[in-house]
Amino acid sequence: MSPHGHRWYMADIRAGYIVTESCHECGARSSFFTTESVPPVDEYREGRHYWIYQGNFQAVKFRLQCDGCSKHVDLEDMVALMLSTCDDQDCAVGRLVRDRGEGAWVYVALCKSSSHASGKCVSAESIEALDQYFNQDNEASEKRVTVVPCSMCSNMDTCRGIVIADAGLTEIY
Amino acid sequence: MKISEIVQKTGVQAINDFRDKNVDRVYISDMVSDIITGAKPNSILVTLQTHKSLIAAANLVNVPMIVIVRGRRPADDVVELATKVGIGLFTSDLDTWGYAKKLTELGF
Repeated sequence: MSPHGHRWYMADIRAGYIVTESCHECGARSSFFTTESVPPVDEYREGRHYWIYQGNFQAVKFRLQCDGCSKHVDLEDMVALMLSTCDDQDCAVGRLVRDRGEGAWVYVALCKSSSHASGKCVSAESIEALDQYFNQDNEASEKRVTVVPCSMCSNMDTCRGIVIADAGLTEIY
Repeated sequence: MKISEIVQKTGVQAINDFRDKNVDRVYISDMVSDIITGAKPNSILVTLQTHKSLIAAANLVNVPMIVIVRGRRPADDVVELATKVGIGLFTSDLDTWGYAKKLTELGF
């Protein structure tokens, strides 16, 4: 049980692909999850954006469900998690990595739009639930996981970390 | 069961300095997205993967022991990260099925 009263478990686990696109006209980036057997590679216009396929990786989507109450968090606004190795003291994530010290690990929740062109990122509710889920078995240890949204990174293009992604598994070289 | 006992009884080679934690179950997977949704805390993870993202995923779900099969060895930066997060890395010359059989013989 987390100190917040929820005992989370993963539910509705779906296997599929994360497809990444970029806008030919403004440079915005976007990702979406699909359970199609072959990830779509079509180019298309959506409002002011013209999206062009950039790549895909195998992924799973899930939601967090509380075992003790009916609360659930969909996590539809998150596409991946990244273990931060940032040491940039001008970046809030880098400072957090430094300040938390040994035994603490900062994971960045990556949102659908890493360029943040829409102004949105992973919601505070999603971050809180992920943080509670990944710490609920750490109570007896000194280990601590801190989950933060990718909007906290000063620059996603130069942000350092290890993305938990199954990239390249469907490629043949 | 202690990691040191599994090392002794299944003949794996330690790649890094490991902490002798308790493990009580096994998970087999080569996909990091599967590991974060399938592996439980205190599991032995048996895999072919040697990529750094393996350590990022295993750390998130409190896996204390990873056995990489078919004699594969990860790069130095992967070993360094595993040591830093407290995950014991081991290698076995057996394939996944061969090593899984060893674990079932131990009662897992």
